[in-house]
Parts: sequence; C-alpha cells; structure tokens
Amino acid sequence: MVVAPETIDPSPAAGAPIDEAEALRRLRQSEDLSAQYYAAWWLGRMRCSNPEAIALLCHALSQRQPRQAEAGVEHNAVARNAARALGKLGQPGAIPHLLQALADPDDGLREAAARSLGELGASEALEPLCARLASGPGVAGAAQLESSRLQEPCEAMLEALGALGNSESRVLAVIEPFVDHERPLIRSAACRALLQLTGDSRWGEQLLALLDHPQLQVRRAALMDLGAAGWRPALEPIRRTLAENSLKLMALRGLVENGDPAQAGVATRLDDDTTALLAVMDDLL
Amino acid sequence: MPSPTPAATEPTELIEALREADSSMGLLLATRRLAEACHPGAATSLVEVLGFNNPGAAVAAVDGLIALGEQAVEPLLANLDGHNYGARAWAVRALAGIGDVRGLELLESALACDIGPSVRRAAARGLGQLQLSALSQSEQARVRQRCLEALLAGAGDGEWVVRYAVATGLEQLLLGMEKTDGAQTEGLGALQAFAGDPGDDTPVVRLRAELALERLADQARN
Repeated sequence: MVVAPETIDPSPAAGAPIDEAEALRRLRQSEDLSAQYYAAWWLGRMRCSNPEAIALLCHALSQRQPRQAEAGVEHNAVARNAARALGKLGQPGAIPHLLQALADPDDGLREAAARSLGELGASEALEPLCARLASGPGVAGAAQLESSRLQEPCEAMLEALGALGNSESRVLAVIEPFVDHERPLIRSAACRALLQLTGDSRWGEQLLALLDHPQLQVRRAALMDLGAAGWRPALEPIRRTLAENSLKLMALRGLVENGDPAQAGVATRLDDDTTALLAVMDDLL
Repeated sequence: MPSPTPAATEPTELIEALREADSSMGLLLATRRLAEACHPGAATSLVEVLGFNNPGAAVAAVDGLIALGEQAVEPLLANLDGHNYGARAWAVRALAGIGDVRGLELLESALACDIGPSVRRAAARGLGQLQLSALSQSEQARVRQRCLEALLAGAGDGEWVVRYAVATGLEQLLLGMEKTDGAQTEGLGALQAFAGDPGDDTPVVRLRAELALERLADQARN
C-alpha cells in the first residue's frame, strides 16, 4: 500500500473536536458531504461501537459523488471512508454490505472494501477476492486506460487474502503469479500474503530484497509488509533500511505482536527474542 | 574515527560538498563526512540536513549532532523548524540524545502539544535521559519532577508509539531516582497501568512497560 511516514489526524471541518453524538448527526444528514466524510473517518478512528453508527456507515456505502480534484475530494469519498471505518469497528454485521461494495464498479471503493473485509477476517470474501484476481497480473493486474490504477485494486485484495488466513493451494495459486508483477508494490503485497499464509522464508527473502529498492515508497511498503507478516528474521535488515524511524517502529511492532510462531494466537511473552526486538525499537525512538 | 580537527580549521570544504550534493546518495555521503569531522562549525549545516526529507542523511546528521554534544544545543534550539514536523522530530531526537538540560522546556512542550507523533515520541524518550550530574541535588530533584509530570501527562497520548516512548522515558527516569522518592511511586503507577490487566490497548506497549517494571524491580533488589 502507499504508506505515509506518519498519520496526522485531519482537523475537523468545524474546527472544534467532536463527540459521538455530533459525528452521528453529521453522518445522518446528507447536505454537507465533507461533514459526512469527516464523521465517517471519526467513527472509525474512535472505534465507535454504537449500533446506529454501524447502520449509518453501511447506508453510506451506497452514497455516490463525483471526484473534485481541485478540492482534494476523491470519487465516492463518503462511501470509501465508510468502508474504511467499517473495517476498524469489528462488527460482522457490516460484512454483507462490504461484500456488495466489493462488487462495485468503483475500484477505489472495492479497494477500501477489500481491506476492511480482510481486517474483519470475513471468510465470505475469499471466493469473490479469488475470482477477481484469478485472471492474474496480465488482466486483473493490468493498468487501466489513461490511469495509473490497475483493473483490480490488487494490493488491497492480496493483502486481504493474506489476512483471511486460508492457505489452501487454490488460494496460493491465485496469489503466486503476482510475485512477478511489474510493479514492486504489488510484488511486495503478494509476498506478504504468501509469507503470512505459508511461513515459507523464500517470500520473506524477497521482501528483504525490496528493503533495498531505490524508491523510498517501495522500501516503506516492504517494511509494512514484513511487519504484517511478523517475520522475525527481518529484524536486522529493518533496522538498517533507509526509511523513517516511524515506519521501522511500526514494522517492528508487527514483528513483536505477530511474530511469535511458537505462541500463535497467544499474547507474546517477554522472552529474550522479544526483549532484543524491544531494544532495537528503543534505539529508534 | 578521525582525530578531532583543530577548531581553527573550519570544515568549509565539507559544507560546500554538502551544498552541492545532487542525489539522495550523494547527500547521505556528504552528511556522513561532515558529521565525522566532529567540528562545532558543522552544527548549523547538520541541522539543515534534518529538513531535507532524506532519512538516511538525517540519521547521519543526528549522529553527528549527538557527537558534538553541548556544542550542538544552541544551533538546534535556534533553528527548530516550526513548519516541518519531520525536521522537528530529528532535531528533538538529537536533543534527546545529547541530554542537555537546556532542552528541557522544548522537550516538555514537544511532548505536550506537537502535532507530529514522531516529535512527541522523541521528546518522551529524551525526558528520561537528561544528564543531571552537573546540577545540585535540589536542582536535580526539581528537573526530575518536571520530567515526571510531562511523562505522566504523555501516558494518555492517543498514539501507541508515544505511549511506548513514555514507558521507556519513565524507566530511565525512575532508574535514576531513589526508591524512597514519592515521585518514583507515581511513575511506577503509570507503568503498572500500562502493563496491568487490562493494561494498554497495544500489546507492544504492555510488553515494554512490563520490561521496565522488571528492570526497576531488579535494581531495587541489588
């Protein structure tokens, strides 16, 4: 994914901090799209669990609006932000709505829906994701006419397949061709998914090679992907990568939290291996 | 390491080479050379590198500034970039590494209100490692109390990485205190809140606080 060195919270449209009631009010109205956009983001950021918030966000998935490049507003901005928020709220009730969004003509909305379905661990998304990627790098992974975007949002979909955790050979067979995609960010996402699903170090080695890529954007993505996979042999290469400490810290957090194979599913313990990871993190603060 | 250059020879050529660097790698190499000269005349140029959005060069510049120690403090404080939080993060990191008490006020305000999480994180780390040995006992206690208050407030930060840094800052600050000190009890309370049940939302923050508590308990035993 395209990674920013760090996230600075956007300032609310009205200036003052808002509360849940205000966010719900803004999302409920439909006159002011930027207020809805902010409200959707806010509810996700605050991990709001109010049932009304879930219902309003699901409803917002069907909202359509044109892109306004000059105002920095993306196509279907409210729907996309609602899809992103639903991934953070952990409510399975949102899954059918997100599956519908995964079939939308807007690839940006499909992208947001794919990520969120992955975050929610929605096994129902496995088949549609595989179906959309099955045509491989040459079709699903081909660039759209007059756009830098691909036919399918491959990175998000590959990441989602990795997150869903199904390592049947038919799933791996859909992902594997993308490790040869011409774009390094897609290769990185494919290796991440395969590393998560198989634990096979050859995918980890390919991610390590991307940490030396001449483009900073690629190095950042490989850092995030190694963190997501929690592949601990990457500790030293991550420490040496020419990238912002913020991203290295996020990657190392991933190694700590996702990377204790002996303890899969159990909270990481403070063993020597973990203590060594924390020492490297301390040095990056 | 090169031998210290006599102060009379300004590192003019090295600074010139830095100005003329026209690639990311060139800038990194020129910064490393200037940093290795370890000359006070290099400080201002090294501070400038922090704003170039080149992480490799910034690491080299921070190392160079930390090696210059207290000679780098004034240039760092005088040239803090109010518009570039990336640059501020590196500058605060350098100040944290130097540990000069003249940086205290800046570290406090950075942790309390900088918009950049990377700036707040570097400040939290720095508040745990100020060098106080040259100060009188009462002055040391006063500075430690200010660091503690800033860190306790920072424990409520919304970003996990800032809370992680607060845990490391508290660890270092408390290791330098007497265990009879009431302030130590307060600091331990904050670490226990991170590590306890339910503890912090972010597992790595809980683990870091647990490690800090283990180290403090070890120290108390010895």
